[in-house]
Amino acid sequence: MEPIIEIKSLSKTFGEGQNQVEALRDVSLGINPGEIFGIIGLSGAGKSTLVRCINLLEKPTQGAVLFHGRDLMGLKEKHLRLERRKISMIFQSFNLLEQRNCLDNICFPMELAGIPRKQAREKAMELLHTVGLPDKAKAYPVQLSGGQKQRIAIARALASDPEVLLCDEATSALDPKTTDSILKLLKTINRERGITIIIITHQMSVIEQICNRVAILDAGAVAEIGAVEDVFRNPQSRAGRRLVSPAMPLPVDESIPMARIAFNGNASSDPIIASLTLDLGVKVSIMGADTRNVDGKAFGTMLISLPEAEEKKTEILRYLNAFDGVTAEEV
Amino acid sequence: MTETITALLESWGVNKAAEQVSFLFDPVNIPFAIWETLYAPLCATLFAYLIGLPLGILLVTGEEGGIRPLPKSLMGLINTIINLLRSVPFLILMVLVFPLSRLILGTSIGTTATIIPLTVAAAPYVARLVEGSLREIDRGVVEAAQSMGCSTLQIVTKVMLPECKPSLISGATNATITILGYGAMAGSIGGGGLGSIALMRGHGRGQTVVMYVAVILLVILVQIIQSIGTRLCVKTDKRITHK
Repeated sequence: MEPIIEIKSLSKTFGEGQNQVEALRDVSLGINPGEIFGIIGLSGAGKSTLVRCINLLEKPTQGAVLFHGRDLMGLKEKHLRLERRKISMIFQSFNLLEQRNCLDNICFPMELAGIPRKQAREKAMELLHTVGLPDKAKAYPVQLSGGQKQRIAIARALASDPEVLLCDEATSALDPKTTDSILKLLKTINRERGITIIIITHQMSVIEQICNRVAILDAGAVAEIGAVEDVFRNPQSRAGRRLVSPAMPLPVDESIPMARIAFNGNASSDPIIASLTLDLGVKVSIMGADTRNVDGKAFGTMLISLPEAEEKKTEILRYLNAFDGVTAEEV
Repeated sequence: MTETITALLESWGVNKAAEQVSFLFDPVNIPFAIWETLYAPLCATLFAYLIGLPLGILLVTGEEGGIRPLPKSLMGLINTIINLLRSVPFLILMVLVFPLSRLILGTSIGTTATIIPLTVAAAPYVARLVEGSLREIDRGVVEAAQSMGCSTLQIVTKVMLPECKPSLISGATNATITILGYGAMAGSIGGGGLGSIALMRGHGRGQTVVMYVAVILLVILVQIIQSIGTRLCVKTDKRITHK
């Protein structure tokens, strides 16, 4: 499949001389049409710079950005502006026009494209329905909650009929429940409109919930890239392991056998560790855990100690893997 | 009524009470002075915005890291000229600008002639006010507009100016009042208006009652302009929900 967006050995350097900072180093990525692609990394990893390089809000120092096989960097300013309408973007801070009401905010990209006002308003009303806020047409951004503002921003992003939607930490300013509903909306948009979505985030729960593939960015370079299940079940890079189980440094004492348990959000609220000790009669210690409860579902990872005996280990892992939404493996 | 007031003022020991009262109650003197007080500064404010608004926009968009950076040397030149004009005391500037007034209007005295020096003094001030207002805009909003394919001109006309409208209005209120103050000063060298009356007749000829009345009228005018500006600013600002 021909990628819709291809980033080729892209580098971005800020500043000069001693103050020079290499934000991105030789990043290459291909994004397939119709997929939801996640880019995750700790803060300062270069995620935001990378997403801004895709629509050339930041000009890369080196490399190329291809959209449908065409190098965007070779385009004249005027043509670049036209291409940008096909690559919409939403932001952590929503960036709505505060002096315009919601309807006029959504009309804005259509106004730029020269679409007649009446037609634009009709389409904006449809989009308000799509994002579930039909009664907010006349409301001003200040009157909305964070989640509602992001919904309006999504409607605005859809107004230019884009092929790609870039999400720059779009849920980072929202509470878990609102994050969940925004992610569901993005998933629906991806499914129903076939829009390719690129999500930049530092929250692994976001990646787990809606992405098909993920790239892990570490210090400006791609540490690993692959299907979300693979990367989360078995991260290959140091950065990957750090992100997937952020609360724990890698075990210093390599001699202690340990299991990593991942909760992917489908797990019920069963007391899994308590059941384990009761049912199998083994004692395990929790070495570290980073789990969250979102709407009664567990997300995250936990590291537990394992007994030395091989058959006991296998028994424990098999027991844990039998739970829905739980994967366990020895690390 | 004039006799009663004159008698009252005389009983307080006011000099030339009859002359002052007849001046103040003349149907032309004071209304005409109010008109002169407003006319020159308001015209000057308008012209100052014609020059200062584009200049202020340029100061924000043209800087390094702005949406349309201009050569550093050009920006440096604009900044220096603005600072220079702003640092010359208004009375000196007025005298310096006399030749320009004569060139444009054929005269350097009279109320109309003060429009030229007022504009020259106000334009750089307006440029700084506009610059300050436009700097309040969130960079993210500009970035969002760019991501939607906005041109530089569209960012200025459709994003920056409308988003900063309340702040621009409050700046314009400030500018008008400051220029009104300058205009009163201009009264001392040939301009008309309440400032001239307060200075020439009131202070110069010892007609203190006339002076106080002129000053009080100026205070009232400033109050009216300020409250109109504030009300307009609040009315246009959609970020304020309780009005």
